[in-house]
Amino acid sequence: MVVREAALVRTFVELTDTLVDRFDVVELLTLLTDRCIDVLDVEAAGLMLATDRGELRVVASSSDAMRLLELFELQAEEGPCMDCYRTGNPIERPRLSLTDSRWPRFEPRALAAGFHAVHALPMRLRGQTIGALNLFRASEGALAEDDIVLGQAFADVATIGILQYRAASEAQAVNDQLNNALNSRVVIEQAKGMVAERSGVDMEQSFHRLRSYARGHNLRLVDVARSIIEGTLPAASLEPKPPVRAT
Amino acid sequence: MDGTTEVQTKRLCRVSADVTAMNGAGIMLMSGDTPQGSLCTTDDVSAFIEESQFALGEGPCVDAYRLDRAVLEPDLANPSTLRWLAFSSPVVAAGVRAIFGFPLHMGEVRLGALNLYCTEPGSLTDEQYEDALAMADIITRAVLVLQSNAPAGQLAAELASGADFEYVVHQAAGMVSAQLNVSVAQALIRLRGYAFGNDCPLRSVARDVVDRHLRFDHGSGESDPTP
Repeated sequence: MVVREAALVRTFVELTDTLVDRFDVVELLTLLTDRCIDVLDVEAAGLMLATDRGELRVVASSSDAMRLLELFELQAEEGPCMDCYRTGNPIERPRLSLTDSRWPRFEPRALAAGFHAVHALPMRLRGQTIGALNLFRASEGALAEDDIVLGQAFADVATIGILQYRAASEAQAVNDQLNNALNSRVVIEQAKGMVAERSGVDMEQSFHRLRSYARGHNLRLVDVARSIIEGTLPAASLEPKPPVRAT
Repeated sequence: MDGTTEVQTKRLCRVSADVTAMNGAGIMLMSGDTPQGSLCTTDDVSAFIEESQFALGEGPCVDAYRLDRAVLEPDLANPSTLRWLAFSSPVVAAGVRAIFGFPLHMGEVRLGALNLYCTEPGSLTDEQYEDALAMADIITRAVLVLQSNAPAGQLAAELASGADFEYVVHQAAGMVSAQLNVSVAQALIRLRGYAFGNDCPLRSVARDVVDRHLRFDHGSGESDPTP
């Protein structure tokens, strides 16, 4: 377990180093598949990423045999990675079979290449699956729960790395946006408290008053809230007006 | 598995504690120079650590963010440097002995800090230290990725779920500000002062104000030492 902890930790550090320095997607993912072999109870690992048009491509493999098998999977349009990518869910097949196949073309190939059990874990963020991690075992049987959690954590790190790379230049803008979101919410909560106190209503009613005023005057909620806490807009202005009587 | 394959801050928090062999972890977001609350915590103790830092404005995450470097306290009960006068003893009483803060930063961007704690005293090994830095880096990226698609002015839903931004405290500050005719910043100071002076959590003082069991204007039960 100590050896495994150390290997695991080294993987996270290496993955991060790859992310920090000259970022190279293929390098990152090749490292990821190599480390899967070291740390998880699997004999081969491979990774596929989807193109903009949603077509899977083999990006990294821990061995040539694995690479050939993954290429075959794409050609045959069936197999664990395909299913994982299509559904966004983990795929587990602990016992490949020639007779009772889930994937009639893929399974004989995999068995011939010496693999008897397969797992595929999605690379997934916000409902978007960008690829899948294939884990192959030479013996029958499902991976231990721990290994699956770790494998998914590796896939998460790679997903984060790839998506973050795509958005790297926006980091400062995103941080500003994040601060803005946090501060806006604070100002709104403060204004809710102030209106609740001044007008003797509860927090929910207070929020409704702020929101209706903002909508009615075509203002942003946060700007109304700021005017309230700065004292430039009296809480009384938010009180619902009595209906205008028709004459 | 924890039921989802989505990238999530909760799992990063758990993994941070696991790879560094700590008892728990928490992620604090800061804005300006102020703690904004926690993005996630692994357990009640780490939730208490984050809540205390928010309430008191001091602690390892606050320092790690302000100093922009790791802040290490291998024995909070017998510290070599005396710091965090208000923070330390309740946190030690909650069972924490070693506590560490790692800044969440990338280039010029600073988001907050990762907190790790252990119930046994002891320094981090070089490996644990490296791993904590690696996790802080991964978390920073994750927060930026998650927030990058959020609607303007809003926190990404993935960040909001599991987070605790202490909204009740800000609501109470608004109420006290109206009661005393002072700015919300001053009202927040009064709330903190009251909580500290009466040795109760800021959050429960705020809850009492919002529930209208406690007022800060004249005739209230507040013991206010200022003339």
